Amino acid sequence: MEQPEQPAETPGETEEQPPETPAEPGSEDLRIGVFVCHCGTNIGGFVDVPSVVEYTKTLPDVVFATGNLYSCAEDGLASIRDAIKEHKLNRVIVASCTPRTHGPLFQGVCEEAGLNKYLFEFANIREQCSWVHMKEKEEATEKAKDLVRSAVAKAALLVPQEEMKVDVVPRSLVIGGGVAGLSAALSLAGQRFDVHLVEKESELGGFTRNLNSLYLGEKSAEETIKPLIDRVMSHENITVHLNSQVGDVSGFIGNFDTTIVSNGSSQEVKVGTIIIATGALEYLPDGLYGYGMYDNVVTLTEFEILCKSHKLPKVNKVAFIQCVGSRGQDKSYCSRICCVISIKNALYLTEKYAELMGDDGAERVEVGVSVPEIASRRRRRRRMAVAEGAGAPAAAPMGGPEITIFNRDVMTYGANHEVYYNEAREKRIRFVRYTPENRPKVTQEGDKLAVTYYHETLKTERKLLADMVVLATPLVAPPDAAKLSKMLKVPIGRDGFFLEAHVKLRPIDFATDGIFVCGTARGPADITESVAQGLGTASRAAIPMARGFIQAEAILAQVDPQICTGCGTCVANCPYGAIRMTEEGVAEVLAAACKGCGCCGATCPEKAITMMNYTDDQLLAQGRSILQGAL
Amino acid sequence: MSTDIMVIGGGIAGIQASLDIADKGGKVYLVEKTPSIGGRMAQLDKTFPTNDCSICILAPKMADCYSHPNIDVLTYSEVMGVEGEAGNFKVKVLKKARYVDEAKCTGCEECAVKCPVKVPNEFDQGIGERKAIYMPFAQAVPRVMTIDKEHCTWFLKEKCGACKILCEREAVDFDQKDEEVVLDVGSIIVAIGYDLWDPTPATEYGYGKFPNVFTGMEYERMINASGPTGGEMKRRSDGKRPYKLAFIQCVGSRNPQLGHAYCCSVCCMFSTKEAMLAREHHDDIDSTIFYKDMRAFGKGFFEYVERAKNDYGVRYINSDATVQENPENHNPIVVYDVAGRPEKEEFDMVVLATTLIPREGAVKVAEMIGIPLTEFKFFESKDRILAPVDTAKEGVFLAGYCREPMDIPESVTEGSAAAARAVETVLAKGVSV
Amino acid sequence: MAEFEPKIIGFLCNWCSYAGADLAGVSRYQYPPDIRIIRVMCSARVDPMIVLTLFKEGADGILIGGCHIGDCHYISGNYHTEKRVYVVKKLMEKAGLEVERFRLEWISASEGEKFAKTVTEFTEKIMELGPSKVGEDPELTNRMGAAVDASLDFRIRSLLGHEVGMIENGNVYGETKTEEEMRNIIDIAIEDEFRRSLILGVTSSKPASAKELSQIANLPTERIVEHIATLRQKNLLAIDHVDGMTPYYVALRVGGD
Repeated sequence: MEQPEQPAETPGETEEQPPETPAEPGSEDLRIGVFVCHCGTNIGGFVDVPSVVEYTKTLPDVVFATGNLYSCAEDGLASIRDAIKEHKLNRVIVASCTPRTHGPLFQGVCEEAGLNKYLFEFANIREQCSWVHMKEKEEATEKAKDLVRSAVAKAALLVPQEEMKVDVVPRSLVIGGGVAGLSAALSLAGQRFDVHLVEKESELGGFTRNLNSLYLGEKSAEETIKPLIDRVMSHENITVHLNSQVGDVSGFIGNFDTTIVSNGSSQEVKVGTIIIATGALEYLPDGLYGYGMYDNVVTLTEFEILCKSHKLPKVNKVAFIQCVGSRGQDKSYCSRICCVISIKNALYLTEKYAELMGDDGAERVEVGVSVPEIASRRRRRRRMAVAEGAGAPAAAPMGGPEITIFNRDVMTYGANHEVYYNEAREKRIRFVRYTPENRPKVTQEGDKLAVTYYHETLKTERKLLADMVVLATPLVAPPDAAKLSKMLKVPIGRDGFFLEAHVKLRPIDFATDGIFVCGTARGPADITESVAQGLGTASRAAIPMARGFIQAEAILAQVDPQICTGCGTCVANCPYGAIRMTEEGVAEVLAAACKGCGCCGATCPEKAITMMNYTDDQLLAQGRSILQGAL
Repeated sequence: MSTDIMVIGGGIAGIQASLDIADKGGKVYLVEKTPSIGGRMAQLDKTFPTNDCSICILAPKMADCYSHPNIDVLTYSEVMGVEGEAGNFKVKVLKKARYVDEAKCTGCEECAVKCPVKVPNEFDQGIGERKAIYMPFAQAVPRVMTIDKEHCTWFLKEKCGACKILCEREAVDFDQKDEEVVLDVGSIIVAIGYDLWDPTPATEYGYGKFPNVFTGMEYERMINASGPTGGEMKRRSDGKRPYKLAFIQCVGSRNPQLGHAYCCSVCCMFSTKEAMLAREHHDDIDSTIFYKDMRAFGKGFFEYVERAKNDYGVRYINSDATVQENPENHNPIVVYDVAGRPEKEEFDMVVLATTLIPREGAVKVAEMIGIPLTEFKFFESKDRILAPVDTAKEGVFLAGYCREPMDIPESVTEGSAAAARAVETVLAKGVSV
Repeated sequence: MAEFEPKIIGFLCNWCSYAGADLAGVSRYQYPPDIRIIRVMCSARVDPMIVLTLFKEGADGILIGGCHIGDCHYISGNYHTEKRVYVVKKLMEKAGLEVERFRLEWISASEGEKFAKTVTEFTEKIMELGPSKVGEDPELTNRMGAAVDASLDFRIRSLLGHEVGMIENGNVYGETKTEEEMRNIIDIAIEDEFRRSLILGVTSSKPASAKELSQIANLPTERIVEHIATLRQKNLLAIDHVDGMTPYYVALRVGGD
């Protein structure tokens, strides 16, 4: 790892001085140089490059124009460098391929020659001219002239831009002490940053603390996450705030001022980045399938708590009902992990049946769980199950429970989940599909629960008498998520979960820089996924902190406070939350957060916003120059 | 000791890992086997559940990665050996000769126009052709040509050389040699992605026998506007567009007999997307998806399937399915069952959601580095709960599909996660920062 | 007369459409050479004022290319573009310039062929329409001037800026508007501001009576009188002189220009 090249000396914003003070736009001293590339025959074969060069020389303020066989070749670049010095060029245009691939190269050359890189302009005469008008040399040549003239018109109005640097406090705030938050905190600490971990409960561990077993592990849920909690508690870089909440947040990436409220007292902490790991809750299916009416109708998590506390009543026939309250029954979404959790519990009940049904459960639950021989034997058995497939189920253990899982689609995606599904089928756990049109019904019949369901193949109604019904309900966003969303100015989606910046490529970022999200606060996820997301946010948050500063875009919006009336239209339009109102009641662009899209400028009712490098004047000059036509 | 980090695999997981590390100031070697970075995501037309254009969102990342001052992108290169331990790995990398000077080539592709040798285009899944000197795809990064030695007339018969004569930049260099370099790195991230399973052995689907049976990726290339058919779905038998499309799920996956007992994680959504895109191309096209379980489990996925049903008229049938053919018109006939009753239906085209399998080279990579594989030949996590991206070997990390079937955002997340763990390692092992 | 060579300007966003245009080049898709491309970072950068000004100054056609909805590099920029395009078209309609001269197209980075096709079609359309009459026809030119002025109006721009938010989050009182309600409000604002801009445009060069203005604006006199009253309230218009019983109005210059 390298240290940031230039540690900023003073806090706040520091500026790089442009190497030279170039001419103001419109002044007499404009000295524009134009390099027209042949690109071998790629341009030269379809555009009369010499005539473009000659024409360019006649344009206002152009003091130098030449053709290059290959502008991007070392000799081509050298000729640009030399010409900048020799002819004292203060604006440079290369007419060649596309700025999307070669812009940075030529900008770099300008910088090497001491010219601010924002005084460079591109004319695309290959991809958007010679290659698309291969049969019309004359027209292509005219077009190339127009494109160069338009670039010259813009170049004349270019002004040097400085990339602002904003210092970043190398400290992170992690909100939520579940596995996602713990993983994030630990990794950030491992990357040598200070972390403040805020947990509203009196213990770390989050939702996992409710759970009995974990489907990928041999140990109990609590035992599994204990080492993680211990490492967080003992890490010198991590400050854990239990029984605490975030009271207030202001500022932006690099410099957030936060207030942590614990037991009535509050503490101010300045952080550079924030990670949201506030988790989710289990949906309570009041009124569905007899929940709340019959004692032995429980949710998945309640079932786990019963197992964990050895209070599971004597049961033989158990029915799990999937998608309770999800996938269109109240909540619209699929909760992703309930299928595998039901399977996990069904398998747990099958495997531990004798122990769980014993009178003295407390000790028996522990039997064999952490014995390595048994663990490896079970892994082998799982592998065998896979090799044999579901077609050859082994006999159910004598006197075991009879378990039925009513489902709509079994969501055991991937390799790890599907292995459990196969194992469950091998263990004679019955899977019965239902459709939302024919949901099962639960009623009390004597001391049993009657599950009436429609058999899709036999096309008849059937009845199952069960001792217990377990409802697989979705994870839902906690009610305080909305509050946090407002405080941090980050969005939540329709389902109440936090909404990432981009569904595909920025899954754990927010559009607002410096704030990240992981775990079930983002949406249903299993424990492994929550850990991966926690680590992922630790990487994302570490980026600005490792650099020590943010290099703001130079192409950004600027508000003229003299013209701004503080109407707030720009604040409403900015997708990045990069504009705020100052105490004086005018808009202010946060350079560190602005991405330079220009959306605000194009709608500012007072036209108080200028989009640097794409100003109205520059765009109009380009347009007008095109309309003017080649002379 | 080295604080540099190597990322093996230039797909989206590897790109994300590289960018994260490099943005923190770490030096990265990104080793990619093929001539361009981008991976599978570059082949996709759109991505679910937003129907984002795949290359549009990927291309800026590819460009960022290639031009990043802290990332050394080694394309057309392979890892040949790994020695050492965390903080001090020595990785032998073979830089294959592409016979084109990467620094000189401008990517104008004029040489390919002149090249007389036609080869099926692997990027387009063999639909359409490329030349022996080629650009793997239009948005390739780096945008330089590569000569395919296996097919080039110069290498086979010492004749032709048209590309060399034509190239004014003199970028073509037949004398280029493979080069082996040894790189010192403190940590390694494995992100080699997946292979596509060839469904020919599963004869019940008729792939390779019935011309109008396609794989999902073949279809994906066809509907891509810059693909081999310019975005048109064309039947192999007569080049006509289909009106009735069938998608068959779990072809080769969730199938212990074929050795892939796991679920691919992405195919239900992939096929739903493809059915929606078909309707977007032609509003008179009807699609049917035959599935075992509709695994629409991710954020917004279930709603996406509902939208496919309600707004795009996609029909979902819960059944296994096999394929026969009407010999008269080469129309595939899908055989399935509803409530135990066998049914048959004729379609114009069948698209198979074939399983995605661990890379053929995964075993070799695992052996070289000394890390275990799971029963399915995915790389095994150190701890499947708390350390998913760690491996049994300290300093070696995993990201993306090569670890466990997953979609793009999960691969991106793991790319970042692996980056965090790798940086932690080099900081702990390395010289003081 | 020489063959018509249309002046077509294309504003393309850097991330999708500009890349699509590059891909058309890389793929050597040929298209008519009349279009000249100006690169912007996001299609939402293109202020309606810029489009209307260039039309006023003689552009025969203007194309805006952006990312497909949902693909925007800046999250939601193209959504705003769509709203602005609506206003531009409305104002073109009011001014009497063929709206077909203006086109918005979503072109992705992988749609090189679509770009070529779009330009070909659009060029053909412009050829069919012939040269823009702006400049030649003084009344149309006046009206385009009014369209440009209206595009700079506070009310229209403010409504446009808040349109998305009003539909999704409601105003400060928590009232949300449906898309249709918002459209109606915006339509009314466009109509009003265009007429007022026209009145100011006309009266800035020569005092005019309500009746004359009613003919020029093609609006009943009572509506013109309402606009005159509003403009006088805002101190933008004053009575220049009274001829008999008829007052003649003149635009007041505000600010320093």
